[in-house]
Amino acid sequence: MNKPDFETFLAESINNTDSEITPQKDLWPGIEKALTHAPVSQSKTILWPKLAGVAACSVAALLSVQLIFSGAEPATSVAMSDYFTQQKQTLLVQYQNQPALTDNWQQQLAELEDAERAIKQALENEPENPALLKMLAQVYQQQLDLINKVHAPKWQQI
Amino acid sequence: MLIDAKQAFTQLSEDTLITRVKSGDQNAYAALYELHVKRVYGLCLRLLADREHAEDATQEVFVQLWHKIASFEGQSQFSTWLHSVTSNIAISYLRKHKNWLQKVVSFEQSGMDEQSAADCQGLNGLDKLVLRLPERARMVFVLHAIEGYRHEEIASMLGMAVGSSKSQFHRARQLLKEWYENE
Repeated sequence: MNKPDFETFLAESINNTDSEITPQKDLWPGIEKALTHAPVSQSKTILWPKLAGVAACSVAALLSVQLIFSGAEPATSVAMSDYFTQQKQTLLVQYQNQPALTDNWQQQLAELEDAERAIKQALENEPENPALLKMLAQVYQQQLDLINKVHAPKWQQI
Repeated sequence: MLIDAKQAFTQLSEDTLITRVKSGDQNAYAALYELHVKRVYGLCLRLLADREHAEDATQEVFVQLWHKIASFEGQSQFSTWLHSVTSNIAISYLRKHKNWLQKVVSFEQSGMDEQSAADCQGLNGLDKLVLRLPERARMVFVLHAIEGYRHEEIASMLGMAVGSSKSQFHRARQLLKEWYENE
């Protein structure tokens, strides 16, 4: 049987769309809890150190981007990835037995890794986009700075 | 006991439930939730294209609704009003949950991947394609084609020009057509 043309499919699907979809889990307990317990607004106090850290790291990242892109050879995302992955692994091994200064640094690192994945995904469509390459370099540098910052004693004073 | 109370409340009319909720009755609110949760979740899922985000946003809608319901004056149908509240909260949820990179460079999030969309329960063929659309195209398509908002309203809700809303709608249709014809 031939499938209907797109316009027919679209019109029929919109007419027959059920606006109701059942969530896969019971959402009421969470709502009830939120209604009966006063919200504890801690997110702002948690956010500020993170933003300050990102801002501080950005300065270092911008410096590193200047270094990367001032070279005569164009930096490709693959070459950059290889270089930073190696640097990151070296740092992680170096600090593996050293306690971190914050508890949530791995979560922050995961967020930066999410950003790294998003940029790499965009680079798949535009492999030589200079703005994306710069951003990738920044994110890599921020990962290195974060790992250093939470492990190196000199940062405790800042 | 709570279940009995909820069952008793579901027999009441929506207007009665709303009146009771306005006076702080949580059992009435639970019944009102039961009446509308599927529609709220459906809209959140279509707009956000992520099951967990849709669940979070649905919870946020009902938490905010508890505080906002006093402002509902009955000039429109409750479902219409709730629909508008839900759309705005889902849009605001998406803005709040963009990571720093997406905020800085206005990255557009891609939609759900093909397999995840195919695995979503309770969705028809069009829905499964819609969930794969990139963010802006998806939101405009859902709000215009499925929910019936005008481009002027969508432009205001999403903070974009009317022309952008129309071009995103066209982009959504093109992508849907391409995916449908290649299925």
